[in-house]
Amino acid sequence: MSSSHANDPRQPSAARPYVPPQVAPQDLPIDYAGFIAVIFGVAGVMFRYKLSSWLALIFCAQSVANMRNIENDLKQVMMAMMFSLMGLITNYFGPPRPSKQS
Amino acid sequence: MANRTLSLIWMVCFSLLVGVAVVKAKAKAHFEGFEGFEGEDDDIEDLTIDPASLRSPPLSNPTPLSHQPPPSDLPNPPPPPAAPATTFDFWDDDEFEGVPLQHLPPPADPKPDNATAPPAPPPAASAPRSFTVEILCGSFLVMFAVNYFTGKRENENIALSWAAQFAAKESIFDKNFSLLGIGDGGEDSPLLLKEGQTTFKFYASGRRFCQGLLATLELKSRHDLIARLYNMVVPCRDEISFEVYMNDDAMDHVVFALAKKKAAKAMHKDVRDLQRFANVLSPPTSRKWVVDDLSVISESKEVASDFITDAVIDQVFGEKAFEKFGKGLISLHFSDQHPGVHKKVLLFKFALPAAKNMADMSRLVALVPYYIDLIGRYKLSSQARSKTEAARQKAAQEAQKELRNAQQEAMQRRKAEKKKMMEEAEAKLSAEAIRKREAKERARQMKKAMPRMKMARGA
Repeated sequence: MSSSHANDPRQPSAARPYVPPQVAPQDLPIDYAGFIAVIFGVAGVMFRYKLSSWLALIFCAQSVANMRNIENDLKQVMMAMMFSLMGLITNYFGPPRPSKQS
Repeated sequence: MANRTLSLIWMVCFSLLVGVAVVKAKAKAHFEGFEGFEGEDDDIEDLTIDPASLRSPPLSNPTPLSHQPPPSDLPNPPPPPAAPATTFDFWDDDEFEGVPLQHLPPPADPKPDNATAPPAPPPAASAPRSFTVEILCGSFLVMFAVNYFTGKRENENIALSWAAQFAAKESIFDKNFSLLGIGDGGEDSPLLLKEGQTTFKFYASGRRFCQGLLATLELKSRHDLIARLYNMVVPCRDEISFEVYMNDDAMDHVVFALAKKKAAKAMHKDVRDLQRFANVLSPPTSRKWVVDDLSVISESKEVASDFITDAVIDQVFGEKAFEKFGKGLISLHFSDQHPGVHKKVLLFKFALPAAKNMADMSRLVALVPYYIDLIGRYKLSSQARSKTEAARQKAAQEAQKELRNAQQEAMQRRKAEKKKMMEEAEAKLSAEAIRKREAKERARQMKKAMPRMKMARGA
């Protein structure tokens, strides 16, 4: 069998189809962008700070762009997105900031 | 060419964005006074204008008005002296009948009272800044979206050109493997599997000596503008790594690695099987060897000299060839003690050239089938074999010992947990018992108290 190089090295009988390896969800790379987006989003809502909400939106976009499989990451991204949008809406359309009156 | 057009598009996009944003900002500034529901910053801005113009008429006749309430005929109580926010609160409409036109606006918005107290600077500073935030973030988002699509296409182009070069019909992998791609071998089964925007996988199987080969292309995050900016500071490369899963009977005891000097040191430290079984070898003086930049890690000198054949030195790793053909090498790592599901694995890591120069790495890719055959046929000499056998037995014993220790630890932990649970349950029980006793005691005391109360009532 190992006699000559001219032999065709292919062995169709030994072919096995591809089996994607099982990856446990905790082994997936951490979605830093989503995490940062959530933090910025919450900060933006809590302190009514619009730059923070905008940054949250940007990191949301990054997180969506880097998403590997939709089911896993969608929850966090959606949460971050809701927070950032809520922050922006309250910032632009909501009642004026109460802290100004004191 | 493509790069230049891309950058042109970029510049046009950006300038357009900035232009639009500026025009918008100007327009907004013009009409601010008429928009009732603008953000508080805008309110403040028109307030900065209002108070000055509005205050002038009252200043002409009743000067004390801005600081004191009109003296006598006011029904409302005087304001607290601490708050100076009183300019218009006590403006009695009846008193100044001559100037109704000018001071009609102030009651419409109650803010000026507050705005007059801390005079202008903060609002004046914050109003333009607020727009820059929106402009910057909005344009960044648009650029991000544009970059997402262009970068995605760039990455796909690289992966496809790699596949066209090495996995198409009559190419090197087609000649070596009977099954290409992730499908079941049909005519149009896809060659590449895309995982995320930066990872592409190529699978091949059906060859002597090995079960399969998995090539993973790890490309730069071109689709991600933030990562792109980051990579300007910390550059990284497009990489491809081949994992070849060898048949169990086709690989002798081999632990071998080849990499650039620094990387080799790091590998020797980090990779477990190299650390355990292998050493960094000094280049032999008696024969031709790899370039000085590279260093070899191996279990024995015999293995190293058998794997670095003259053909390999001539083609890729020798002094002359390396500059031209071997530049893309990151590392080779062959081991029969690989941690994970497959024990006998050959790992090849190369840097990918640009999409149009894919042919540059053809000699590196040719190393893959070459080493599969070389290692598949390789047999250690009996002397070396006895040594490696001993080393592996020792390692296996240690591994077993570790396993046993881990099991014991787990058992102990479980026992401790059980004990804790029991104790907690007991504590709960005893707490309940105490409560019961207390309740009984209270009942008894109540009983004792009862007659006295009766007596008291009787008295």
